[in-house]
Amino acid sequence: MNMIKPSTLAMIAKLFVMAIVDSLLVWMIYVALLGSDFLVGGVLVAILIAANWVYFSKRTVAAKFLFPGTVLLVILVVVPIIYTAWMSTFNYKTGNQVSKDAAVAQLKLVGLVPDASGATFDLKAGSSGSGHALLLTDQATHEVFLGTSAGLKPLAAGTYKLNSLNVAVSADGFTPLKGKDLVTATEWISSFEVPSTNGRYVLAQGLDIAALMHEKFVFSKDLLTLKDTLSGVTYKDNGNGNYVDVSNKDNILFPGWQSFNPAQNYVGLITNPKLSGPFFRVFVWTIAFAFITVAMMWALGFVLALAMDKKIRLRGFYRAVLILPYAMPSFMSILIWAGIFNQNTGALNNLLGGAHIGWLTDPWLARGAILLVNLWLGFPYFYLISTGALQALPSDIEEAAEIDGATGSQIFWQIKLPLVFQILSPLLISSVAFNFNNFNLIYLLTHGGPTDVLNGETAGATDLLITYAYKTAFGSNEQNLGLACSISVLMFVIVGALSMWSLRRSKVLEEM
Amino acid sequence: MSSITIGRKKSRAGSNLWRHIFAWVLIAFSIFPIVVVVSSSLSKSGDLATGSLWPSKVSFANYALLFSSKSIPFPLWVMNTIILASANAVISVLIGIFAAFAFSRLRYRGRKQSLQALFLIQVFPSFLALAAIYVIFERLGVLYPLIGLGNLGGLLLAYLGGSMGGSAWLLKGFLDTIPIELDEAAKIDGASPSQIFWQIFLPLTSPILVVTTLLSFIGTFNEYILASLFLQDIPRRTVAVGLQAFVGGTFGANWGPFTAGSVLAAIPLVALFLSLQKYIVNGVTAGSVKG
Repeated sequence: MNMIKPSTLAMIAKLFVMAIVDSLLVWMIYVALLGSDFLVGGVLVAILIAANWVYFSKRTVAAKFLFPGTVLLVILVVVPIIYTAWMSTFNYKTGNQVSKDAAVAQLKLVGLVPDASGATFDLKAGSSGSGHALLLTDQATHEVFLGTSAGLKPLAAGTYKLNSLNVAVSADGFTPLKGKDLVTATEWISSFEVPSTNGRYVLAQGLDIAALMHEKFVFSKDLLTLKDTLSGVTYKDNGNGNYVDVSNKDNILFPGWQSFNPAQNYVGLITNPKLSGPFFRVFVWTIAFAFITVAMMWALGFVLALAMDKKIRLRGFYRAVLILPYAMPSFMSILIWAGIFNQNTGALNNLLGGAHIGWLTDPWLARGAILLVNLWLGFPYFYLISTGALQALPSDIEEAAEIDGATGSQIFWQIKLPLVFQILSPLLISSVAFNFNNFNLIYLLTHGGPTDVLNGETAGATDLLITYAYKTAFGSNEQNLGLACSISVLMFVIVGALSMWSLRRSKVLEEM
Repeated sequence: MSSITIGRKKSRAGSNLWRHIFAWVLIAFSIFPIVVVVSSSLSKSGDLATGSLWPSKVSFANYALLFSSKSIPFPLWVMNTIILASANAVISVLIGIFAAFAFSRLRYRGRKQSLQALFLIQVFPSFLALAAIYVIFERLGVLYPLIGLGNLGGLLLAYLGGSMGGSAWLLKGFLDTIPIELDEAAKIDGASPSQIFWQIFLPLTSPILVVTTLLSFIGTFNEYILASLFLQDIPRRTVAVGLQAFVGGTFGANWGPFTAGSVLAAIPLVALFLSLQKYIVNGVTAGSVKG
């Protein structure tokens, strides 16, 4: 295909750009390896190799144009999507956020109780050899021990010095901490464990007292069961990230861990009444909202297009003013509307002579407000596309119908409207898909509310699936990322199916 | 076109009256919030609830506050937004037109599948991917602070991830309307695909590129979820994140600075929009008219 050589200038420009890209990538790889982040380094090496192959091989014509967008798309969009789908198969929520090993370690700490012997020690913190150490004097027997992470070692009389209170203050091979070192040492002292016999530990209870503790939880080797040695209760791994009392399934130990459980979040959305109730309510409202709002915006836009489909006076002025809502930055408009609807200080109640109507606090009024604001935001767009569609109608259709004796309303209802609808249907469907996920509108206007928190509601009256999922994942109360991810996967399936169907229907792909 | 009316001359004024009434009713609806925001920005109390729609005493205190207060670095926010939105608009439109050219003109294996995949990826509710984005950029930030969380560079990179899905489809629709004979003639003359792209397509598409760039600029301007995740430091915020903080909080709203900032930010955007109105209308209607 390459009949003539690319111009030298273009070649030089290409070499120049590639030299910059390559050196940047090499520097980034260097930094990544320096920080021993081999995942990032490896990905960058792959990008470096791929980029040079794509841009210097003669066989990669299309890839030359698609490469930069694809790399960004894969790393920043596709990987997060896969991550989301993967997380949706985990029980990952507040209380179940760490790995099982970390949860077991935390449970061990939670389960430490003072030993039955009630042994307590006076404590001096310091170091022995290269590690931290505690010099311990038993308060009852006045025996002296050197405690290190290796264990508790009794010291023979004469190898340590006592102060006037019979507390050991120094010993051979032990360097006590002094002055300001002691201040910075509080952190390690509080978590320093000196293992004793029978699964017991000496733990500091402050800066100068320690106590002998034992673990009340005894884990089985495979970590599948644990026994509370104090109460005698046995707990079992329930396969879902928690130890649960075998005789009382409501008695659950926390923290739990994130556990792989592919269907749980999805099944829970349908079978667990605490989840399925809000989910179905939100689901129905989402569908209703998406269709109703598009129908309203289109109806208003289309009628406006009909009204302006004639050279009337001031048409240019009308047009400029009427597309203002479309031209305004939408996040500001939505926030301003939120202020207008405010019950106490809003301009709307004020305009109604100081009324006190809770536009955004009554469920149905809030839904109406959402629809009204979205109508304001969206009708100019539909006006523009309807105008385009009206102008694309062949003008002889109307003439032919008139000659056949059709009345004005027949022409409108039976010819113009169906034709315009047909032309616009791909755009209408993509609008429905967009509004299905209209996060900004809901979040900025009502935050999904009003929410009847007192009755334990987790979803608000105007929550769409997307805001509901967002709150579920990042909300202020209980966060459940696993569940939120499964909601977004479901949304993806619904919107994806709708979009694919419309894509097929509009035959866009066939004509390519 | 359809302005030619046939055989219906009766009561012209009457038949147009409803059009004017309809237009004026809609105009009242359209400009109501705009009047509220302008009047509130000019009122000293900074309420959205002035007794009348227009403040009895016009004051520019809210505007002055934006440029004098140390805790409200509005000019910095504007700078951040302009840098971010322009960089994103230019780079993403460039990436988009590259991809659109390949989709529209080049034939390669897996083309149809890749287009379908791109289409599907686009409809994924990306807000939920926030958690993953956060993890990725936290990790990158450790190595390269400039593109990590808390920096405009990181936010820009996060936006660019979507550039392929965003504008490529719109641009492809436009490229499809350019007659294929044009590149065939160039091919016969021995031009390579890159020459066809740089020397024929890029100049031809410049009007639609302007529109796409503007729409992308406005899109970035409006984006605040990702921006609020990335930009916690007050001086590094964008206009959207900075202004949102005045009224988005749980405890009361400070409408004065918000409305003044909104007016200042909206004026250039609206002016740009209205002056490019014709191109934008062509751009958004291109899809519908093609049918």
